[in-house]
Amino acid sequence: MSQNIPQVQNTGAIKSAEFVKLTIFNEFSNSANVTTHTFSSAYRNETIDGAEYLALGGLLSVGSQNRDLRVTAGDTNISLSGVSGNNIQIVLDTKIRGSEVEVWRGFYDDNDILGDSYLRFTGVITNYTIQEERTDNNDNFIVTVSASSYKTVLSNRIAGRKTNEESWKVFDPLDTSMDNVYSIAGVQFDFGKEVTASSGGRGRGGGGGGGGGGGDQRRQEQR
Amino acid sequence: MSGLQTIVDKCQGMEIDRRKVVGIQTTRNEVARTSETPTFNPWRINLTMPASLRYNEARALMEQLDVLDRNTPQVVTFGNASCLSWIFRYQGSLATSQLNQMTVQSFIGNQLKLTNLPSINANRVMFEQNDLIQIGNYTFPFTSTTKVTRGTDSFITITTHRPNIITGVVNGAGITVGNACQFYMFCPNMPTYKLYPGGADYSAGGTLVGNALIEFSGEFSLYEWVATA
Repeated sequence: MSQNIPQVQNTGAIKSAEFVKLTIFNEFSNSANVTTHTFSSAYRNETIDGAEYLALGGLLSVGSQNRDLRVTAGDTNISLSGVSGNNIQIVLDTKIRGSEVEVWRGFYDDNDILGDSYLRFTGVITNYTIQEERTDNNDNFIVTVSASSYKTVLSNRIAGRKTNEESWKVFDPLDTSMDNVYSIAGVQFDFGKEVTASSGGRGRGGGGGGGGGGGDQRRQEQR
Repeated sequence: MSGLQTIVDKCQGMEIDRRKVVGIQTTRNEVARTSETPTFNPWRINLTMPASLRYNEARALMEQLDVLDRNTPQVVTFGNASCLSWIFRYQGSLATSQLNQMTVQSFIGNQLKLTNLPSINANRVMFEQNDLIQIGNYTFPFTSTTKVTRGTDSFITITTHRPNIITGVVNGAGITVGNACQFYMFCPNMPTYKLYPGGADYSAGGTLVGNALIEFSGEFSLYEWVATA
């Protein structure tokens, strides 16, 4: 899907800033319980979609993002200053892995007033690093979070359900379709064969063993 | 006068750097395109000190600089010493009382609107290019990028060199102009100093006592402390 951005059309000079929204899900089972951090490289606090983005709230840089015609899996890095300690706390004391990241780019006019903003990247945090650089008397902390786009997340996702009672009832507790799976698990069963009294008995499926033997005979005859 | 203010007053060279954060790309057919990030655009002033400070007269300064180190901001101004006051001298035509009566109507982006203007001719120049303007007690000076005349409106609009970085309320605040403006600076590279023989001191009753001349390891790169803007 293409995006029309008038601010970059027919001009040789643009003014823009990066806006990052970090949504941390505090509970696995409650997607409404979230903590949101918003920060930007802008010179002042700006509001986008009802969220106020803090100016220079520790944001140092936003890594490059792939812009391809086809949907491709791209990762990006977001570097935060660790000087205040707040950003280290965000990384260490919260469930930051799996948090959702949005990176917006906002465009300014000639009077340095923010106009429209456009979503550039949506992904999930997959890793973080805390780096301390101490050279002589220079001591700096940098917190970097790595975010993967949803394409990567979806590629790595294993979805579906198993054919057993427990998995089946996750979606519908009243579904009894798989209740008998455990009792017939590992049993050979010839579908369509008439059930006889001699071969009866729970778990033998009406002479399943006999059916199998017939098959063996046929294979022997074919040899 | 102490610390960085002494350095400002005694420096022998000054370099002002107000460049913005800009990315420039030139296409194959040599068309340049730019991308700018509106930032706090802090003042950066590099000061070169002469190697003629006498140690016995500058011991207090040494201590002040060591205390400031590379992480403590300090207010400095260019209006203290008469030898410096011309640098940011106010170039407009208003008297001090007329300047003092003006207040900020609004300051959005880089558009500063002043009201409570004096009753003067419409063509009188109120601000020339590069005139410094300080809002209230916020020690973050802005410059006027254009020549501003009185006009006939109840307000004037000044385009400043950087957007409004002040997070506090500025509407209704008064202004300070010219060399009376204050800069809140720190020196992230705070040079060290070396003592060289020299600077003979005969102050002790005409008797020669040991002394030295001070040479700094580099220039003082003052950087505006905008974290509290």
